[in-house]
Amino acid sequence: MEKYSQDETFLARWISGDLSTEELDEFQKSKDYPVLKRINDASQRLEAPKFDQQNLFNKLEQYKTNRLQQEKRTIKLIPNWAIAVAASVVIAFGLFYFLTAESHYNTGFGQQMAVTLPDRSQVQLNSNSDLDFKSLNWKNNREINLEGEAFFDVEKGQSFKVYTEEGVVEVLGTEFNVISRANYFEVRCQEGKVKVSSTDANDEVVLLPGNAVRIVNNKLEKWDYNISEPNWLIGESTFQNTPLSQVIISLQNQFGITFDASNINLSERFTGGFTHKNLNLALKTVMTPMDISYSVDDNKIILKDLDN
Amino acid sequence: MNNEIKSVCEEKTYKLIFDSHSKALFNFIYYKCGDSEQAEDIVQEAFIKLWDNCSNIIFDKAKSFLFTVARNLFLNEVAHKKIVLQHKSNLGPDRTDETPEFLMEEKEFMVKLKKAIADLPEKQREVFLLSRIDKKKYSEISEMLGISIKAVEKRMSQALVILREKIGDI
Repeated sequence: MEKYSQDETFLARWISGDLSTEELDEFQKSKDYPVLKRINDASQRLEAPKFDQQNLFNKLEQYKTNRLQQEKRTIKLIPNWAIAVAASVVIAFGLFYFLTAESHYNTGFGQQMAVTLPDRSQVQLNSNSDLDFKSLNWKNNREINLEGEAFFDVEKGQSFKVYTEEGVVEVLGTEFNVISRANYFEVRCQEGKVKVSSTDANDEVVLLPGNAVRIVNNKLEKWDYNISEPNWLIGESTFQNTPLSQVIISLQNQFGITFDASNINLSERFTGGFTHKNLNLALKTVMTPMDISYSVDDNKIILKDLDN
Repeated sequence: MNNEIKSVCEEKTYKLIFDSHSKALFNFIYYKCGDSEQAEDIVQEAFIKLWDNCSNIIFDKAKSFLFTVARNLFLNEVAHKKIVLQHKSNLGPDRTDETPEFLMEEKEFMVKLKKAIADLPEKQREVFLLSRIDKKKYSEISEMLGISIKAVEKRMSQALVILREKIGDI
């Protein structure tokens, strides 16, 4: 081994024919030259294995057509992002509608309804009553609008408010009954603690179980009642020193009847109750103690004061 | 060719690239691994990649893209150690008048040479074979391998030195 072992590119230049004439002359005289020449000559006759070019190209064509078909299919359809946008819009609107929409419940004459609020608080809605609330953020904002009569069984949590025409009832998990009618507002506390504030009178009353309060003619009246006495939830309405006008409204709501009460004194007070099951019995139990006679005429019940 | 920018996505252009480079690519990988099936898979994979990216690759860069992809694919393949090159030797038509002794001797030499080439380190072997079989210029090989021309020349010389030692005197 002579020159080419020192010069790192000498043999490479010999192969590519880049040696100078002198270099080549000298190299051809060396004893390694015949071997290297033979290696070079022989190696140029070597071949790489056969390679099925056509077959491979066909495979690629196959792949490409599959690809293009996939793309065509995708192009025909609505692009994915559009579907995503459409879906989002629908969901957003749905949620918006669902969460902000007021849930509304109402009962007709003689109907009762049980409503479960989002936090599983229960509301029993008595006849001819309306109840609204918003599901959105219910946990932190438990507010209900009520017109009519309802019994609440409230789960523990943030303050729970019942808004009515005449006042607001605020509680922290309890059971209570609310009546809200034109010029009449009554709250009975069955369990827990209830705070009642009147809209006009700026009065605030805290009720304990058995306490009740009503606002009649802007005057606040407090009384106690027996919490074990039957109530409308089990088919009987009870009253304690209640203006007769309210008792008559209760009767109307319960039985879907109309009274002609022009001949009686509606501001008299009634204590007692009536059953929801039998109109005749109910009329009897209310009117007899009050010395009022009743007669039916054209689907109207005409009331008459016996004293006069 | 012309000054028009050829899109690799175009059927004609893609075919042109395939026809001019697929065999070279195959040989290149084959010289590395000595496994023609593996080499074919890598060629196929490289051309699929070329197709998938055809809109991002300009025609002039397609070749170097293919070789780079093939090199990387080869590196990713772990099992590539069985190097059994099976070259076919063909004597030129001018050699048919050789004596039987010469033919025997020639055959033996070819067997020896093939074995010696198969035993070459991968780097030297691929340069040597790309040069001798595929008749690639050093500049082309340097482009294929992504190394300098000088490095190609060194490897070429090293290959010859090793082969010379393996084969010994004749």
